[in-house]
Amino acid sequence: MYKFLAVCGFGVGSSMVLKMSIEKAAKERGIECEVENTDLSSAKGSNADAIFTSQELGDDLKGSTKAPVYPIQRYMDKEEVGKALDDFLASKE
Amino acid sequence: MLNQYLSKATMQHKKSAETWEKAIAYAAKPLLEKGVIEESYIQAMIDSVEENGPYIVLKDYFALPHAKAGVGVNEVGMSLLTLEEPVDLKGNQVKVFLVLAAVDSSAHLEALSEVSELLMDDESYDLFLSGNLDEISNLLRKGEE
Repeated sequence: MYKFLAVCGFGVGSSMVLKMSIEKAAKERGIECEVENTDLSSAKGSNADAIFTSQELGDDLKGSTKAPVYPIQRYMDKEEVGKALDDFLASKE
Repeated sequence: MLNQYLSKATMQHKKSAETWEKAIAYAAKPLLEKGVIEESYIQAMIDSVEENGPYIVLKDYFALPHAKAGVGVNEVGMSLLTLEEPVDLKGNQVKVFLVLAAVDSSAHLEALSEVSELLMDDESYDLFLSGNLDEISNLLRKGEE
């Protein structure tokens, strides 16, 4: 069971949509995961197997978390999110 | 649930917008008039794009402007603006703006996930892009049944 974070500036809108996309992509791949959506400041220093967020926020996060950060341009794009998830899975092999 | 927020009173169609800032302000106008949000929330949504980048563009042609929950927001609300001609939002072409006003991290989630399901579906997304408010209303009603 992986733990993922979906991050946006406020943790209420975009990150919620990103969480949905990650869950859909994970289901398609048969991966068990728990996805939490959160804002940028709460994401700093939190524990997760991977963090998904925008390019801009990702740059901000990289210095303050040990978790790998996967930048997503279109939070609602299942294919793009799926590709990031595949990259994460490949890194675990 | 969705019907409660997205009704004729909160959906608008327009030919074009001069700038993305004006499009967001116009999209949010019904919420401002209803007292759902304060003027400051509109500026906060615009400032967020300036500060955090254009990640509110969730897919091609669709943006979800929003800012911090409960700041300049009096109650949960959503409003929709569809444009005939796309407007540039920092390098992204946008035709559909869905303004989200949240009061906390949970009260709006059901409605947001319902509308997201529709927007993730190619067929219903095409309806949003077409800008036909009657058909969008029908679609939102169908989701309720």
